[in-house]
Amino acid sequence: MSHKTTKKVKNIAVHCLLAVLAFIWVFPILWVVLTSFRAEKGSYVSTFLPQSYTFDNYIKLFTDTSLLNFPQMFMNTLIIAIFSCILSAFYVLSASYCLSRLKFKLRKPYMNMAMILGLFPSFMSMIAVYFILKAVGLTEGSLIRVALILCYSGGAALGFQISKGFFDTIPKEIDEAALIDGCTRWRIFTRITIPLSKPIIIYTILTSFMGPWLDFIFAKVICRANADQYTVAIGLWKMLEKEYIDGWYTSFAAGAVLISIPIAILFLCLQRFYVDGLSGAVKG
Amino acid sequence: MKKQIALLMAGVLAASVFGGCGTSGSDTEQVRLMVWSPSNDQSKDNGEWLQTCCENFAAQHPEWDITFVYGVADEASAATQVAQDPTASADVFFYANNVLTTLTNANAGAKFGGKYVEEIKATNSEAMLKSVTWDGEIYGAPYTSNIWYMYYDKSVFTEEDVKSLDTMLEKGVVSFPFTNSWYLPSFFIGNGCTLFGEDGTDEEAGVEFGGANAVEVTDYLIDLNANPNFKIDADGSGIAGLRDGSINAMFTGSWDAAAIKEILGDNMGVAALPTYNLNGKEVQMQAYGGSKAVGVNAHSKYMVQAVELAIYLASAEAQQLHYELLNVVPCNTELLQDEAIASDPVVFAQNDTFDRTSILQPIVPQMNNCWVPVENLGKGIRNGSVTHDNAKQMTEDMNTAMNSDGI
Repeated sequence: MSHKTTKKVKNIAVHCLLAVLAFIWVFPILWVVLTSFRAEKGSYVSTFLPQSYTFDNYIKLFTDTSLLNFPQMFMNTLIIAIFSCILSAFYVLSASYCLSRLKFKLRKPYMNMAMILGLFPSFMSMIAVYFILKAVGLTEGSLIRVALILCYSGGAALGFQISKGFFDTIPKEIDEAALIDGCTRWRIFTRITIPLSKPIIIYTILTSFMGPWLDFIFAKVICRANADQYTVAIGLWKMLEKEYIDGWYTSFAAGAVLISIPIAILFLCLQRFYVDGLSGAVKG
Repeated sequence: MKKQIALLMAGVLAASVFGGCGTSGSDTEQVRLMVWSPSNDQSKDNGEWLQTCCENFAAQHPEWDITFVYGVADEASAATQVAQDPTASADVFFYANNVLTTLTNANAGAKFGGKYVEEIKATNSEAMLKSVTWDGEIYGAPYTSNIWYMYYDKSVFTEEDVKSLDTMLEKGVVSFPFTNSWYLPSFFIGNGCTLFGEDGTDEEAGVEFGGANAVEVTDYLIDLNANPNFKIDADGSGIAGLRDGSINAMFTGSWDAAAIKEILGDNMGVAALPTYNLNGKEVQMQAYGGSKAVGVNAHSKYMVQAVELAIYLASAEAQQLHYELLNVVPCNTELLQDEAIASDPVVFAQNDTFDRTSILQPIVPQMNNCWVPVENLGKGIRNGSVTHDNAKQMTEDMNTAMNSDGI
């Protein structure tokens, strides 16, 4: 009996602690959501809960487009994120597969190089990237989107470590069996490896979508004064400038809530594949 | 956007057709001008000030067939953006004068000359001219002053009250951006502290924020912060307080004018900076004043047209429209004679502040070292780490930091 009670007390204590931690963790998100529905204007409020609620902040984002065209920024970002997601997921998976399965001389040096390059922050090359893109003529008009897609997907192959690690766990015997049956490397990759590695593919797709979706610094440097090419990150940042902050702060929160929606949808659609892709791969 | 460009092109074409009656079409020169301005100058809600002005300009010059390309860059960052890559930047842009040296260091700003200088000189005050002058050359046509002043609730303070901060504190609650180093130095400058010599251009002279007069001010600020009727304005708390009635006066610039008008309505009062009572003597607060100007890219392919456009965009006609559409306070001396404009309280207060209760914000590069130390002093007073006991030491530390090049 006393043993049971101590266990109960322990459980209660642990759950209380977890509840407090969960509250602390969710608190800022909750605050942003509440602010996005706040009817009072301005960036500063003296009360935690809004005095009254409204949908106007969301409506303003989509109707008041003459100053900050949020729908257009949203579409720009969506297009850029989808294309760079497809490209970089492909690059990452291909590079990881090659490094995991093919034996070639530069394999080790390449991995070392990628490791060292990965240590530098990507924005270090920002200005150089800008001038290269300018030399190619990609810094004006709609070509800016192409430039951003190239930026976000170009370096993707350096981030192979995690999926290479995953591919390493897929038994080589399967590949060998397929080779003996006359499969090419490409067919092994598309027909055997990819179906077996759904979790890591989902992970790769999610991260390569979120990178461009949330990026600010490259978009800022490359878009410069082309307002029609702005991404949501730049738009949200603009809303906090001193001229706009008082009128746009609650819409800023609404925008912040909205940009989490595509990521959430993507995750919900893909999460059912997060099961163990390897179950029952090798028999015996 | 495409539609707008098409419309504009149509407008330009039409203008060249009407204007070009006497001359044959082949005489018109093809010109492509890129113009960067803040987005509110281009927005439909605000009457597309920039587009309208550019069309007018094109109509006045039938000899040029101008294609305008518009970009968005706010005044605060435009000069930096142009300096980053002048060859791929706007021909004409709007910038705040405090980044003038960024522009000149990158050789990105075009010097105005000849009749254009005459024109700028004829329509601007001495202080305005100085704000866009570097090494004796003029780098832009000013179109408004860039400064902060005081907004107050007329139902709480009379016009006589707002002349003195201490009287105001007795009658109502005053909020001031105490931890913002664009605002806080106004107390020090008022009491004779100087930056880079008398006129703010002498880097050798350094900053004098450490003498006995500065310590006096620090002591005053510590008491001010302790006053229950004084609230620090940070992260928008000032305007929020005005909205819920807990604050009766605040310090900000024209960018908040519309929001404050909405809150206070007819009770909105605007005034230049007040004096404050320092150990028995009244000391006038002095703000950092600057200007916003139209600049021209030194790498522009169409220099004549770009300079002409810049002059036009800062002309009385364009300033008048800017004022009507966007409430941008004009600085053209002729326009300020206009009865309707001169009687607007915001215009009066802004120009009164600029003329009477401000110094030109120094634009020497060393000015960059002067922001963080002042902010830290403000924060120190707020947090209670700066007290009457260590005020002297803390003030001198601030002065040392402002005069040093280190980070």
